[in-house]
Amino acid sequence: MVLDTVVRRRRLVLFVVLCILSLGVLTDQLRSPENRRTGWLGIAVEAALAPASAGFSRLSDAVVNGWSLLREIGRLRTENRQLAAEVARLREENASLRESAQEDLRLRALLGFKDPQYHTVAARVTGRDPSHWFDTLLVDRGAADGVRRNDPVVTSEGLVGHIIEAGGGWSRVLLIMDPRSAVGVLVGKSRDAGVAEGQGQLRLLVKYLSRDAAIQPGDPIVTAGVGGIYPRGLPVGSVIGVTRTAGDLFQEARVRPGADLNHLEEMLILTRGGAVQDSR
Amino acid sequence: MRYALYAGLVVASLVIQTTWLARVKIAGVVPDPLLIVVMAVGLLHGSEDGAVVGAGAGLLQDIVTGVPLGLGMLADLCVGFAAGLGGGLIYTENLWFPAAAAAALSALRTLVWAGTAHLVGLLQAPLVEVAQVGLLTACYNGVIAVPIFRGLVGLDRALLPSPEESL
Repeated sequence: MVLDTVVRRRRLVLFVVLCILSLGVLTDQLRSPENRRTGWLGIAVEAALAPASAGFSRLSDAVVNGWSLLREIGRLRTENRQLAAEVARLREENASLRESAQEDLRLRALLGFKDPQYHTVAARVTGRDPSHWFDTLLVDRGAADGVRRNDPVVTSEGLVGHIIEAGGGWSRVLLIMDPRSAVGVLVGKSRDAGVAEGQGQLRLLVKYLSRDAAIQPGDPIVTAGVGGIYPRGLPVGSVIGVTRTAGDLFQEARVRPGADLNHLEEMLILTRGGAVQDSR
Repeated sequence: MRYALYAGLVVASLVIQTTWLARVKIAGVVPDPLLIVVMAVGLLHGSEDGAVVGAGAGLLQDIVTGVPLGLGMLADLCVGFAAGLGGGLIYTENLWFPAAAAAALSALRTLVWAGTAHLVGLLQAPLVEVAQVGLLTACYNGVIAVPIFRGLVGLDRALLPSPEESL
């Protein structure tokens, strides 16, 4: 009888079972990205897709560059044909050299960020999370390069986030603007401690700041070095506004991240070189 | 054969979405070819296939994109199931049908995704923002749905003959 009902309503039963399964998977990790363990399935999927993603990413770069070049050449052809051909050749060469110079500058700036306690691994973005509210990146360095879960990631402008998954030749970076991210920080000259939480957009909210703290727009924010993930003193961003509500024990500060998190191309992963992670 | 084709389409959509399309965000929104694939499976093969392929595609997307596991799985299985429910009722050969269906299912996906994230405490996005994202996603996917859906229908018919044809 029950079996007959199940068979008759197979479509609905399947839908309900899949809904329960997905909600079960979801509620198992919720706000803590550390609980997000994809196991062998995740490793297999990423191992299979990471090379394809890297290849597509490079192909995409080539297409974008090629498209830009075509448009450039098209504009020049309206001028004198012979001169335009010469200009096109020179511009192509110039664009290539300029791109190399810019990349060189960026990499030099990244290397200038070096912290003696950490080894640095330069990484390149190969994939981005397309969802509107969460912010992770896939990069082309992984466990084979010494990268581990919870390694901090920075650029010359400031903190980017930390590693939440690391495979053989790939890693996933949780950006500080992701709603699941929380970073212990010190604010301004007064060095008041707070927690910078991601808001899913290019703005952080520093909570639990002492109500008496004198915080002004423009004050720099650095990492506090608590929690065992980020070392002390990494620049995070600067204050753009402060909220004080009458009766609240704390005040909150809105912060603009120093790193351009929407246009990241290269970054440095700070690895601890095989040592046991510091749990200051 | 059928599920191997679906798997191939899902993987190709995912790779394109995370590498190419993620660069062309408009107001924070990215086109979602995976939704069109799930929609096509639901419309052409019914709710059961739609829900199963949607759940699998959503879980794979969650794994690849780094969002909390289960969010995309739930949203995409709802999309596949809903597409399957409408499949027998609507004339799928109409030129504008894929755009309208993709727009409606995109809005449904955003609603399920953001609603579930809100219910479990992952997001506190204002309703206006959810509506804005839903609308933009619907427009974006509506535009890309017309060529992608036609291509998928052609591929489906070429590789997976209907039971009547195979008799």
